[in-house]
Amino acid sequence: MKSREEEYREIFMAEALEYYDAMSRHISELEKDPADEKALHELFRLMHNLKANARAMGFNDIGEVAHRMETIFGLIRSKERTFSGSLVSVLFTGVDTLGGMIRAVDQDEEVANADKLLHNLDLLVEGEEPILEEDEGNADEDASRKLELSDLVYIQIKKLDHLLNLVGELIIDRDRILTLSQEIGNPALQAAASHLFRIADDLQYSVMDARLVNVGSLFNKFPRVVRDVAVAERKEVELTINGQDIQIDRNILQIITDALLHLVRNAIGHGLETPEERVRAGKPEQGSLILSAQTERDDVLIQVIDDGKGINVDQVRRKAVERGLVSAEAARNLDPSAVRAFLFEPGFSMAKEVTDISGRGVGLDVVKLAIDSLGGQLRVDSVLGQGTTFTLVLPTSIAVKGALLFELEERSYAIPLMHTDSVVSLQPKQLNVVGGILMARLLGENIPVVDLRKLLHDGDDALIPAIKTELVGRQDIIIVNYNNRKLGLIVDRFLRQQDIVIKPMSKPLDMIDLFGGVTLLGSGQVCLVIDVPALTRLFLAKRP
Amino acid sequence: MPDQESSSEKKAAKQDKLIQLIVFRLGDEEYGIRIEQVKEVTVTPEIARMPKTPPFVKGIANLRGDIIAIIDLEERFKLRPASDQLPATSYTLAIEAKDYTIGIVVREVPQPLSIPLSIIEKAPEFIQDINIQDKYIEGIAKVDGRIIIVLDMPKLLSPTEIMQLQSK
Repeated sequence: MKSREEEYREIFMAEALEYYDAMSRHISELEKDPADEKALHELFRLMHNLKANARAMGFNDIGEVAHRMETIFGLIRSKERTFSGSLVSVLFTGVDTLGGMIRAVDQDEEVANADKLLHNLDLLVEGEEPILEEDEGNADEDASRKLELSDLVYIQIKKLDHLLNLVGELIIDRDRILTLSQEIGNPALQAAASHLFRIADDLQYSVMDARLVNVGSLFNKFPRVVRDVAVAERKEVELTINGQDIQIDRNILQIITDALLHLVRNAIGHGLETPEERVRAGKPEQGSLILSAQTERDDVLIQVIDDGKGINVDQVRRKAVERGLVSAEAARNLDPSAVRAFLFEPGFSMAKEVTDISGRGVGLDVVKLAIDSLGGQLRVDSVLGQGTTFTLVLPTSIAVKGALLFELEERSYAIPLMHTDSVVSLQPKQLNVVGGILMARLLGENIPVVDLRKLLHDGDDALIPAIKTELVGRQDIIIVNYNNRKLGLIVDRFLRQQDIVIKPMSKPLDMIDLFGGVTLLGSGQVCLVIDVPALTRLFLAKRP
Repeated sequence: MPDQESSSEKKAAKQDKLIQLIVFRLGDEEYGIRIEQVKEVTVTPEIARMPKTPPFVKGIANLRGDIIAIIDLEERFKLRPASDQLPATSYTLAIEAKDYTIGIVVREVPQPLSIPLSIIEKAPEFIQDINIQDKYIEGIAKVDGRIIIVLDMPKLLSPTEIMQLQSK
């Protein structure tokens, strides 16, 4: 396994060589047609990128040359210089020099001195004539110039998706073969099967690894966003970004892009106060906004932290009662985290005035849905007057999820571990009936419990109020957790914990949102994967 | 007018064109589907019942790695008393709809049959008696005293139509 630095260096090298190729191409185009604005623009962009990358990697010599070249292309673009005369040859030399420097870095050689070139570029910037000399080594260099292909391959994400799907199917078949080989009991077959197991595992890991990108590739777009939003909202914001190099599946990052954008806008729009308000509250004028990523076990935690005014739980409580989401009496007894969960209800916006940036009534529920679709979790913590923290708990990879398998009416089902809180086995005497709903008291918490068989029963009627005498013997209960609401599900039997590959539900059954997909078990049996958010909603809709 | 001649010739040739149907029995009638709409015919694989789906959706099954929905058209169109269970061995026609594959379970082995396209007549009104709206029906073919109702599967299998579901 290569170190992170080495990996970065490789990426830099590959990109730099590619830039160099593109520069050579565009500068030739520009020579043919000095009015070619597209080529000029490209050259400017390439120089800029190369400069930024080289400086970030500490290759300051390359950065210097690129910087001056960029300046000149900028001048040409603003029509202060023309692409003609001695300028052309200096720029050509500049591109060649950059190529030479990039190659030197690649081979770990000393980077050639470019003072003469730098001086000439400076002269050009100042509008003076550069000092050109006949370079005797030039012809030689031209002849020995090598053509190089990049070490980096750009690949469409679609192709990686396809590869991942194929690997997913391979894993399913592998598990089947392994099961069969154990049943048959032939030692040679077993050895082959376990070899297949290892290889398929490595393959899966490699494909997943190939899809990982740095969280930074998304985070680095935020300084600009924050600036723009802060200006529009007349707030002063200092953005801190942590954990850019945490890696996550590219598609997950794609899916949370809008969610993160929303949270950041929200934090600036609603969370942070205006400078005057902050001073009055005894806080520094400038609000702090932190975007951070970290890994926690197999998950990636992304947090948006502001030090603004926080969420007023009583206001949310009132609003929830107004909107009829909860009765006034029940609202009074809800603890703050349960109240904050209302923020994720569809159309629940706390903004009093509608602005461009935030508060259009579409909001956190959209964020919630995006995170749900990934099988992730969204949490919010807040201290009034001190700030709010939104935490996105995301899987590193889409393909494989830890799941708890259980049996219900002789069929296997799976529940993603992401939404599983705990499993308990309780005797009927440990359960009480409150208002027709079974309740279990666990670790000082009252948790509603429902017989999953009844919940999944056909028909749209409400659940029949639970009767304790129906419970016979030990009850296996899975406690699921969604949006800070816990719910116990009585199942027939726990089976085991297993990594599963979830296939999306095929059409037309994808209209049934109760199941997040299916997986094939080693036995070839089809196993439905329960979607906890939808199941929780079903319970709320059907409770007696 | 050579142009007209050739076009009328073409018409005649088209009318004599043979089409291949897969014929199966639902309730008391025989139905046909054009063979190009049928992906495969197989003994029904193990079906996993899916809770919260209408009863005519038998469930989902693993067909060579594809997870497909299996539906019972007899139940969907009430062509047989609901109490009638499927036999131990039934057959499944995997039908290629617009962007998915779906399985249709039938009781007897489906048979291929070639008929001239010209003998398919437009469906008359009486079809409505058997609960299948005539828009799913391409036509009726009379072959040696048999009556075969030719279904237009893409129309029948639009997700809202087949699932009788309102999108949420």
